[in-house]
Formats: sequence, C-alpha cells, structure tokens
Amino acid sequence: MEGYNEILSVLILLTSFVLMANKRVKSYIRTFRLQSALIALTAGIMGIRSVINEGSYDVLVICIIIVVLKVIYIPNLLHKTFASVEYKVEKDFYFNIPLLILICCGLVVFTYFSISRVAGISEGEINSAVVNSVSLVLIGLFFMICRKKAIGQIVGFLVIENGLFVTAMFSTNGMPFIVDMGIFIDIITAVLIMGIIVFKINDEFDSIDINKLKNLRG
Amino acid sequence: MDLFTAVNLLRCSILLFITSASLALILLKWHKLCNIVSNIICITASIFGISGSLIQLLAGGEKILIAAIKPAIPILSFDIVLDRLSAFFVLGLCVLVLCVSIYSIGYVSHYYGKRNVGLFNFLYSTFILSMFLVMTAGNAVFFFIAWEAMAVLSYYLVVFESEQVEKQRAGTLYIIMTHLGTALLMIAFMMMYSYTGSFDLAGSSAAIPASARNILFLLFLIGFGVKAGVIPVHIWLPYAHPAAPGNVSALMSGIMIKTAVYGLLRFVLVYLGVENTWWGVTILVVGMASAVLGVAYAFVEKNIKKLLAYSSIENIGIIFMGLGIAFIAFSQKNGTIGALALAASLFHTFNHTLFKGGLFLGAGSIHYSTHTINMEQLGGLIKKMPVTAVFMLGGALSISAIVPFNGFASEWLTLQSIFGSILPGNAALNILAILSVAALAIAGALAAATFVKLFGISFLGLGRTEQADHAKEVPAVMNVGTGVLIVLCLILGLFPMLFLKLTDKLVVELAGQSIIGQLKGPFLFAGYLEQATGNAISPFMIFVALIVVILGVLLVLRLVGGKYIERKYGTWDCGFEALNSRMQYTATGFSKPVEIVFRMLFRPSRELKVEGEHLYHPESMDYKVSTEPIFEKYIYAPVLQLVQAVSKKTKYAIQTGSVHRYLMYIFVAVLVLLLYNRIA
Repeated sequence: MEGYNEILSVLILLTSFVLMANKRVKSYIRTFRLQSALIALTAGIMGIRSVINEGSYDVLVICIIIVVLKVIYIPNLLHKTFASVEYKVEKDFYFNIPLLILICCGLVVFTYFSISRVAGISEGEINSAVVNSVSLVLIGLFFMICRKKAIGQIVGFLVIENGLFVTAMFSTNGMPFIVDMGIFIDIITAVLIMGIIVFKINDEFDSIDINKLKNLRG
Repeated sequence: MDLFTAVNLLRCSILLFITSASLALILLKWHKLCNIVSNIICITASIFGISGSLIQLLAGGEKILIAAIKPAIPILSFDIVLDRLSAFFVLGLCVLVLCVSIYSIGYVSHYYGKRNVGLFNFLYSTFILSMFLVMTAGNAVFFFIAWEAMAVLSYYLVVFESEQVEKQRAGTLYIIMTHLGTALLMIAFMMMYSYTGSFDLAGSSAAIPASARNILFLLFLIGFGVKAGVIPVHIWLPYAHPAAPGNVSALMSGIMIKTAVYGLLRFVLVYLGVENTWWGVTILVVGMASAVLGVAYAFVEKNIKKLLAYSSIENIGIIFMGLGIAFIAFSQKNGTIGALALAASLFHTFNHTLFKGGLFLGAGSIHYSTHTINMEQLGGLIKKMPVTAVFMLGGALSISAIVPFNGFASEWLTLQSIFGSILPGNAALNILAILSVAALAIAGALAAATFVKLFGISFLGLGRTEQADHAKEVPAVMNVGTGVLIVLCLILGLFPMLFLKLTDKLVVELAGQSIIGQLKGPFLFAGYLEQATGNAISPFMIFVALIVVILGVLLVLRLVGGKYIERKYGTWDCGFEALNSRMQYTATGFSKPVEIVFRMLFRPSRELKVEGEHLYHPESMDYKVSTEPIFEKYIYAPVLQLVQAVSKKTKYAIQTGSVHRYLMYIFVAVLVLLLYNRIA
C-alpha cells in the first residue's frame, strides 16, 4: 500500500487534464466532482492509517467534510447557478484544446524542474506526489485564465484550492485541523459570493462572459 | 511588599489609559460626563506614569519589564520594557498629558452636543497609549505596530472636524508622508532581522556589516525624520498640526514628533552604535537647515498655529543639531563633548515639550474664545484674556530663549557643546561647528522676532475684528493646564541643574560620562559665584541681576527726576484722538522687512488692487503678499507630476480591466518565483 499516494496523485492530476479538455460548462462541474472524490479517497486512506497508527481522527473528519462539501454541496450549487443564468453554447476558451493540453504538460515539466531542488520536500529522490499536486495548482490558475465564462473561474479557483490541499496532504500528511477547517469555511463563503456575483454579472451584461467586465473600467 | 514600584505604577498607568478609552466609548451619549471622566482618568494615569518614570530615571536599575505578552507567532514578543531612555520620554509624555488633559476638560466643552465627544476622547486616549507603547516597545515589530497605530490615530484626530476641506487635505498629506517614512522604517527593521535573526531591540547589532550599517542609518534618519518634520520632509507638519483640535496639536507638536528623536536615539545610538563621523555631520546639517528655514517660514506666517508648527520645525532642528554634535563627538571618541551635547539635546527635547505644549494650548484658548487663529483678525486680547496672555508671553519668552525661562538654558548648553567641539585639528569639522553656531544664533534671533510678532499683533493694540473685541477669558481649568506647563518652564529655566541631575544617569548610560562635574558654573543656586569661569552662566543670577537693575533704575529715576505726573491719553495720536484698529501695524507689515532681506528664500509676490478712479482717493485697496513654498514647488511638485504622468500612461496598459489579464499577472509571477527558487 506504500505507493498509493503516487497513484492517487497521478489520477488527480489526470482529472485536471480532463477538466482542461472539457468543452461544456456542465462537464467542468462533473470533472470537478470527480477530482474532489479522488481527493476525498486520498484523505480517507490517510485518515484510516492515522487512526490505526496514531489514533487521531482529524483526517477522517476532514475526509467526510470534503465529501459533503466538495463532492456534493458545491457542485450542486454550481449546477443550480448555471441552470438559472442564460445559457448560450459558444466557444468558451481562447486557444484550442490540444494547445491547452500541451501547455499543461509543459507546466507539469516546469513544476518538476523547479520543485526538484526544494529542501525538505525531496531529499535524494523527488517526491512525485508533491510535484503532481503543485502542478494541479498551476493548472487550476491556468484554467481560470483560459476560460471566458465566470463558472470557469469559479471551478479554476476550486481546483487551485484542491491543489493546495493535496500538496499539504502529500508533503506533511495534512495541515493542522483548525487550519483546514478555516480554509473550508473560506471556500464556502467564496463560492457563495462568487455564485451571487455570477447572477449580478448575468443581470448586468446578459451574459456571464467576464470579458464584458472591461466595460466597467473608469 | 512594596506596592509603589516603577513596574506597578506604569502598569496602572497603561491600564488607566485603556480604561479611559473604553469608558469614553461606553459613555458616548453623555457628552459632558464622558469628557470629564475620560480626562480625569487620563490625568490619574499620567500621574502614575510620571512617578513611575521618575523612579526609574533616578533610582531604577538597567531596565524593567512591565509586561510580556507572548503571541503564537514565533519571532514576535510584545514586551513592554522601560529602560532609562524610555523613562525619559515617558516622563515628557506624561507631564504633557497631565496638563493637556486638565486643559481638555474645559476645551472639549465646545464640542458638547455638536460632535461625537466619546469618539474624540477614545481617539485621544488611544493616541496617548500608542505613543506610550512606541516609547516602551521592546521588539522592533511591536514598535512598528505602535508606530503605525500612532500615525493612524493621529490622522483621525487631524481630520476630526472632517467637513472642512482643508483639514481633509492636511490629513491626506500627513498620512501619505508618514507612510513614506514608515515604509523606510519597515525596510530597516527587515534588514535588522535578516542580519541578526532577531527583532529584539535590546539585542546585539554586531552581526551587521559596515556597509549595511550605513544604509540602516540613512533609512532610520529619513524614516524618523519624516515624523520629526525636518526639512526637506517637513511639508506635512505646517498643515497637519494646525488642522488638529487645540489639545491634540499640543500633543502632536509637544511629544509625537519627539518619538522620532526617541527612535533615532534608540536605533542609531543604542542599537547600532555611532561609528562614522558622517552620520553626525548629516544630522547636524539637517538640523541646521531645519532650524534656520523653519523659523524663517514661521516668521512670515499669519496663522498662529501654523506659525507654531513652523517653529516646531526650528526646535526639532536645534534638537537635531545637539544630536549631530553628540554623534560626531562619539565617533571621535570624545565622551565629554558627546555627553554635553546629548544632555543639551535631551534638555531641549523636554523643554520644547513644555513650552510648545503650552503655546499650542494657548493658541487653542484663543481659538476657543475668538473662533479664529488668524493674527490679522485678532489684537488687544491682553485686556480680554489677561491670564492666557500672561501664559502665552511666558511661552514666547521660553521659546525665544530669554533668560529666566528654560529655552535659554538648553540652547545655551547646545551652544556650549558646539563651542566645545571645536578642537585643534580637523578643520572641516571646525568650520561646520562655527557655521552651526551662526545658524543657531540666527535661528534664535528670528525666533525672538517671530514671537514678538505673535504676541504683539494678537495680544497688544486694538482688536481688529468683532470676534477679537468680544473675546472672553477661557474657563479656569484651561488656564490651569497651560499654566502648569509655563510654570514648569520657569522652574527649569531658573534651576536647570534639576533637570541635569534628573537625566544624569541616562546620560551616563548613553555617553559613558557624567557632565555634572564638568559644568563649572553655578547652575542651581546663586551661591557658588567663586567657581564661575568665562563660559559659565547662571540663569538665576541673571534673573536676580535683571530685577536688581530694573529696581535700581526706577529708584534712581525717582530720586533724580522727582515725582512724575501720570496722564492717560492715546499714545502717538498727535491729538487726533480717532485712532482705530486699521491704523495698527499688521502681521504682514511686521514681517515685510525680513521678507525683503530674505527674498531669495521667500520669493515674495505682491498684488495691489485699487478700485476707484482717483489714485490718491481710491474707493478700496486690496493688498496681497504671498511667499513661494520652494520645497513644494521645486521638489515635491515635479515628483508628483512625474508620477501622475507615468501612471496616466500605464493606467490603460497595465490596468486593462480584463480579469484574464490580471490572472495572467499572478500566473506569470508564480512561475517566475518558482523559477527563481530553482535557480537561486
């Protein structure tokens, strides 16, 4: 069971590639749900190990919160938000998908290159799980850049958060319980606010294309 | 079990200031009660503070820990530490707060029912507390937090009457300038940490290399210089100090700008240690420029509070001159002169706290009863407000360094130390010292002229407006507050040795030498005449001699001239008997000759508008004189224009309004940082 975290981290990274290749907003949300489920699985395995080894239930509780929050609640909320704004099928990205995938590959290589020397993370051999999860952060940010519609930005933001969470998990077996709880509360607030703002943008511009926000410039 | 130790007294003091602030908010709705309660608690707190710091100055050991708060953040500790240097400044703060709080009981009454008195007293108490913490912080981060709190709270006090546009502008200028200084201090503290690995102020600076020390010195000098208001970073001071309410401007001018002196002493002298001569030379030159230019600008000012603010620049300049001479002497390993100059500088710091506090309170009293601080609209106040007039006169005499008052003692000591620093060898330093003597002399002369103008135009003669004619004496509590300060000025002026004895241990700690034995003159009482040498002077003896001479002359006149007859009539009216206030010397007229002599500096422009057909019998004449603010015009305006031009150009190139573009910036920054981490 030792290699499980590498396998899981690669799977999580793969979901982010899938996300990048998605064309429809609905499939963004679906892929995000899948990614969160994988993260919950990782946390679950780690949680069980920590219950057996140290008798601490913290990680297991966090696993349950992830399932409730990121696998069930937030995706549903996003679905609801998206269903109630005006829907137009149009190209949602600036570059074509193959190019985006290639850039993502480049990002992973770049992360490998830059992380490989960080002291404490990779002594002697490179911790590929950390490389994969840091790549997840960068891909999430890149996803925000290359999508036009506001839902894309929300999903990208959530992917960044997922990336940070798994980085912490893989490098130090999770952050202190109180820190994780704080981050979750932040996430809920952020998603709620962003959901409301999507409505506002839709009301104001009859579209959720955030490029239209340029018109607000003074 | 001894209850009255310095630690307990100062703990009480801090707790009382906190109580005062919170009670001010609780009693928000009862304006009068809130003001009286809050100020009485502040008075009690400052009495505790005075006694605590006196004990520490006179009897205390190295330093005492008042409180230690350990937060969860590793390198931080919120230690409140009181050593002698802190005790000296806390003493100055508490003496001033005592008087200003007594004064405020009366002064704030004109806000009753009009403004939020609770908020005002909350800001007032927390502002005092923040200064207290600046002076006692044991950790650079804590110092920084207190320093920022002080800047922000004083900003809110400056803009307290926020509906007036010029006060808003003064506040904005103040907050921008003070943040520039704070930014430099932040860099300095980070440099400190990066070399020594500690923010502890009592720590050693041995790990800092020589080149970094020089940079640190410059950062500290400019960073603290902005707060002190030295030229050329003074431009906020003449706007912010007059904009604040009277009691707050007394605190700002009296003690807030002294926190910068504290900072320089704490960080440069105690922490870094003076090694390079050019440090002292720089401070001395800055001090000279501030002293001369500050008082020159004060002289042409018509607004009383603005005049006092410019005069604060002058006095900070004199304090800096003393510091500069001390630093030069320390770097030359000349302990005696260093100790003398340091004592002079500390003495002037304390004196300025007393008399500038008193003068600003007096200006507040004038505003309280006439609702104006423009000298051209005052006049004749000595008959309406005799007590205020006497105290203003005392303050004016102190600040002009006239004998029985304390300004003389400290300026004399400064002059002595400059003369003493002229030693055989080192010609360049000697020339500088001679120049600084000249600068101090001209500053003193102009200061005297400035305060002749302030007192003469606003208190003597006839009232120029209705407001001046209907002025009434202010409530007694206000006069008590001002009076205590001026009486202290007189006591310290007559017996300067009291002060020098008080700070002797501090001077020994900082300079390694006591100066009391070195002083040859009879400073304390007039009984030691035989020890007097050429340099010695006894203010008390001069005062006695002055009285004797005046009495003697009167007696002789009486004996020689016989009985004289007293007639009461209008002076110099040549029988015309219809002199009115328009025939008096105006403030503008009074400063005109100096303005003409120094027209290089002032670049005056005049404008005469005549209405009516006949040149010699016009219907009305309007004469305006304005001086050119050279620092604003030639230093700040070009910089501002450049910034504006650049930001106008880059505004649409960088800030496009596109969310994607902004995200791109973050993305690129992250990638570059990762790359930097890999390569470095």
